Amino acid sequence: MNVLMPQLGETVSEGTIAVWHIKVGDTVAKDDPLLDVETDKAAIEVPAPKAGVISAINVAEGETVDVGVVLVVIDVEGEESAAADSETASPAAAPAQAAAPVAAPTPAATPMSSPTSAAATGSVAKSGAMLSPAVRKLVSQHNLDVSSIAGTGKKGRVTRQDVLAIIDGSTAAPAAAPAQAAVTGRSTPVPVPAPIGADARSLIPFDRIRKLTADHMVMSKATSPHVLQAVEVDYTAVDAVRKSYGPGWKADKGYSLTYLPFIAKAIVLGLREFPKINSSIVEEALQLHPLINLGIAVDLNFEGLVVPVVRDCASKSVGQIAEGIKALSIKARSKSLSPDDFAGGTYTISNSGPFGTLMTAPVINQPQVAIMSTDGIRKRPVVIESESGDSIAIRPVGILAQSFDHRAFDGAYSAAFMNRVRNILEQQDWASEL
Amino acid sequence: MAQLSYRDAVAAAIAQEMRRDKNVLFLGEDVAAAGGVFKATVGLLDEFGPLRVRDTPISEQAILGAAMGAAMTGLKPIAEIMFSDFFAVCWDIVVNEIAKARYMSNGQHECPLVIRSANGGGARFGAQHSQSIENWAMAVPGIKVVAPSNAADVKGLLAASIQDPDPVLFFEQKSMYGLKCDVPEGDYIIPLGQANIAREGSDVTIVALAAMVPKALKAAEVLQEKHGLSCEVIDPRCLVPLDTKSILESVSKTGRLVTVEENPRLCGWGAEIASIVGEECFWNLDAPITRITTPHIPLASVDVLEDLMIPSVDRIVSVVSEMD
Repeated sequence: MNVLMPQLGETVSEGTIAVWHIKVGDTVAKDDPLLDVETDKAAIEVPAPKAGVISAINVAEGETVDVGVVLVVIDVEGEESAAADSETASPAAAPAQAAAPVAAPTPAATPMSSPTSAAATGSVAKSGAMLSPAVRKLVSQHNLDVSSIAGTGKKGRVTRQDVLAIIDGSTAAPAAAPAQAAVTGRSTPVPVPAPIGADARSLIPFDRIRKLTADHMVMSKATSPHVLQAVEVDYTAVDAVRKSYGPGWKADKGYSLTYLPFIAKAIVLGLREFPKINSSIVEEALQLHPLINLGIAVDLNFEGLVVPVVRDCASKSVGQIAEGIKALSIKARSKSLSPDDFAGGTYTISNSGPFGTLMTAPVINQPQVAIMSTDGIRKRPVVIESESGDSIAIRPVGILAQSFDHRAFDGAYSAAFMNRVRNILEQQDWASEL
Repeated sequence: MAQLSYRDAVAAAIAQEMRRDKNVLFLGEDVAAAGGVFKATVGLLDEFGPLRVRDTPISEQAILGAAMGAAMTGLKPIAEIMFSDFFAVCWDIVVNEIAKARYMSNGQHECPLVIRSANGGGARFGAQHSQSIENWAMAVPGIKVVAPSNAADVKGLLAASIQDPDPVLFFEQKSMYGLKCDVPEGDYIIPLGQANIAREGSDVTIVALAAMVPKALKAAEVLQEKHGLSCEVIDPRCLVPLDTKSILESVSKTGRLVTVEENPRLCGWGAEIASIVGEECFWNLDAPITRITTPHIPLASVDVLEDLMIPSVDRIVSVVSEMD
């Protein structure tokens, strides 16, 4: 039987083979792990759907293939020909091919996965050859260099059959397009002079997460005119609650009650009053999101950045948000996030605070329209104004900085939101919000 | 399984439904005593009598007005418009009344009727008796549109049309009345909206309707033998409801679409299918979508001219073999 690249989430169209656990000739039992697939930043294990002997492995480690592609063939006793068997490991895989063009694109789908921009980044654009939509799609999906494919169609046109023959391996594969084309996207790369004393170890190839991140950052900056606004927040009120409830929390839950869930809760309360900030731009309209789903940027020990999502935060308490963030960061660092853990974010928080940064200008996580950076909080002398005169006090102070998409709304709206978030953080009765 | 002609299948389906449901009745010009000018309804008067099988005066408005009234008050009439060209005479009743009865009455009135009509060219009847007008009907919300390509489909689809709770225009291709094929005996129904994959193939999808289906199948044989091209022939059988799933799946597989229609070029049904495939299947296309149609001029009655105008096997072979 054929085991196909499974559909691993609504918006996922391809996956990369991370590691094979078996080799040709191995005997496997049902549910034995066959391989790990990395897809949109998560690693997933694919088990054997039936017991049998591995007769072929079609895709090498590190290769990226579409959903529905045959990964491995298992000879199952009692089944005649593996090739004739159309049974699939994932029932969603094969029909999804035909159904996909019909489905309306979800707003959350990243433009990277759409055929339009994929065709623009592939090696199709530079060839100048007349290519059909089907050929353009295949070439970009399989990262082929179309100029080296011999066309058998009218006037030497490269047909879909020509490309499929190469993908199937019945024709020698042309050299793959250079990896940098996928990263730098539409712009022409500026040549980098070879550094003096450089050796092979000084060139670090981008892995999948790095490539996706690079593409997304370039796309976001090219798409949205970013404006940065920052407010200075006095965290005395939050600090008081952390001091009184923090030790009990840590004893109970096993981890610290940080500033982040309080900031997240204040942002949620602010977003409810300023709904345009919890939105996406669709054509020439602002699509408000009824739910507030907070993306939390999580660093993977300098090995990459992922943004899992805490869903429906509008109804969550500070404690529930804290638990949601903790659960996602544990899953992220063990690489066990599922693709759906990334889906549906409406606003993102990037937290550099633990490193004591003063202020960060974050890049918007498309298709959202704003992102908040929470930076270091430390004690500072603060001027306290009162009717009996000014005085200086020692207060925990930190900066909140938001980048917003100026297409979506203007600076006054964003500034009013920032002011509201600051006031909430400084004045809320946080003990009752836990 | 008996061999029946396309015309015999019409009478067989009507008789099957009249036996099943006493509310089914049949009316039209020369349909009872004469058995229809195309002899498609012979024997019905004898079996069901003059109350249920009626000859009418020569007034298309009167036929459809009576049928509509009967349908809205609980009967299930089948009306015949002798030549589909004559729908132009009674189009107001079809478009403004029958098609909208359910909508305008907020669902208080159903209008379960079937209007049968001899449609299309190839019989040398000239410009006013040879038109293919299934595209007119397809353009009107509120009516279903059926156009069978063989006797078995006539029986199954006509029975389904009579049982349908909404108005159905049933187009019989008049040049096919004599063609025979195996037709299942006994009660036989084909649900509306299911395309027939008349031939499976991998290189090109040919969507054809009614009289164009046998021509597309013949062309597919020639294309396989002489050009090594594997053609998939899809007969949608109904334009409304349209089985877009079968068409999109086929084009996703082959990457090429050709439509073959008797409609004049502008706004023929093939244009609608090309539009759907262009919108929903663009990234699976390996060549421009191509339509084969009758030219946008009144149909000639002279043999050689009519044969030149209506899509032929040779034209299908030539167009498909020259596709990118």
